Amino acid sequence: MLQAIRYWRGYLSIKVWGFSAERFINLCGNRNIVLWDIKNHGDYYTMCISLKSFYQLKSITRKTGTRVVITGRYGLPFLSLRIKKRKIFAAGLVGSLVFWIWMAGFIWNIEIQGNHYVTDDVFLDFLSESGIEAGMKKKEVNIEELEKAIRNEYNLVTWTSAQINGTRLIIQVKENDLIQETPKDTLLKTEQEGSNLVAGKDGTVIGIITRSGIPKVSEGAEVKKGDVLVEGCIPIYNEDTTVRHYEYCTADADVLLRCRYQMTDQLNETYEKKVYTGREVRRRYLLIGSRKIQFPIFGNGYEAFDVLDEKERLTLFGGYELPVYFGKISKREYVKEKRIYSKDEIKEKFEGKVQKFIQSLEEKGVQITGKDVTIKRNKGVWSLQVDFTAEENTGTPQKIEQKPLEDGQEE
Amino acid sequence: MESLKLPKDSLLGASIITVTGNTDIFVENYKGILEYSNELILLQGRNCKIELKGKRLNIAYYTNEDMKICGCIDSVRFL
Repeated sequence: MLQAIRYWRGYLSIKVWGFSAERFINLCGNRNIVLWDIKNHGDYYTMCISLKSFYQLKSITRKTGTRVVITGRYGLPFLSLRIKKRKIFAAGLVGSLVFWIWMAGFIWNIEIQGNHYVTDDVFLDFLSESGIEAGMKKKEVNIEELEKAIRNEYNLVTWTSAQINGTRLIIQVKENDLIQETPKDTLLKTEQEGSNLVAGKDGTVIGIITRSGIPKVSEGAEVKKGDVLVEGCIPIYNEDTTVRHYEYCTADADVLLRCRYQMTDQLNETYEKKVYTGREVRRRYLLIGSRKIQFPIFGNGYEAFDVLDEKERLTLFGGYELPVYFGKISKREYVKEKRIYSKDEIKEKFEGKVQKFIQSLEEKGVQITGKDVTIKRNKGVWSLQVDFTAEENTGTPQKIEQKPLEDGQEE
Repeated sequence: MESLKLPKDSLLGASIITVTGNTDIFVENYKGILEYSNELILLQGRNCKIELKGKRLNIAYYTNEDMKICGCIDSVRFL
């Protein structure tokens, strides 16, 4: 605390020598001049004195016959003096301060969080259409308008929140998760009219449990795509077994179907493989906005090469993102070589593809019970054919055409 | 005097010397410095002189009322 006050007011370190330095110290004490860090160096003394008291020393030195020399100046009053001598430095200091404050008034980065269906690119395109881009002034961003615009543009988006954090514009979005359940909506629409359940694939029925409607097929029956499995119109009979009228309902049933899937693929026996020569050039570059400065600027001369680009954005104080990137490019030369797949390699490649196909089927809820794989080679082309036997639930709702009552049965 | 319980320093003009370990001395009520070197500091009190002996003696601060001395103190004597 005392140090801070001393620094604020400014103080000097002085060197005192002469006939009676002790008397000089005593007189300073008498006149309420505070001295500190008094040291004896044999024939002279050094001490510190506040700037204000220094001006009162003249009479004391005359009286005691001592001499005083300033050896150091410390504190704020001298700092401003020093800055006066370095005008360019001071201008730079002020200039950089102004620059930072000015730059902090812009948005340098737009971040979108929580979007799945609407991709970042689409979002950014929409934002730039509505006038929001990286590099615009913060003041020009109307956050409430922006939120409203996003909600109006995308029906998917149920909630938005935009906020400016440093030089970043952060947009948080919540999308409607129930988007995939649209079939339910169509189901509701058909409810009043009733609907049939039809087969979505060719196959053999191996199980059927009906919840509503009249089953039209039984276990073991062969069906074709589009065949009615369960009928949604229920006839109500008169006593003489003639139809009085039809009741319509939404047919609902679990129908297990055994069906076949086929997968074919072809692969050339020869392929080109990248063989790296081991030659590589590395370049560093600086990207300011869209202008790129590369060091060194010479090119490479490789015929074919891979490019690996890493760049890092310049961020200040965690939040201030500037449109300046430091990057590293490395180019690796390679030569294309013709190779021929061996039988094992081919098997491995095809195996991977089959697994992928099976996985995509399983995601749809299809259970695979057997597969039959044939791999053939013909004129340098390998061909793959896989026949799957699978079990899956089937049944898609279909609107019923109103059945006319037979003649003479009305009333 | 004892019964009045008045502080002696103000009545007799006695110096107050506070010694902390053998490194710091805090002196109040004195008139001035008579001699100052690295090994010896001689102070003029109101009734007597005070002699401080030691090594590497420095005056941390010096005002009209009090002073503080740092260093390795060997002895305090009244002359």
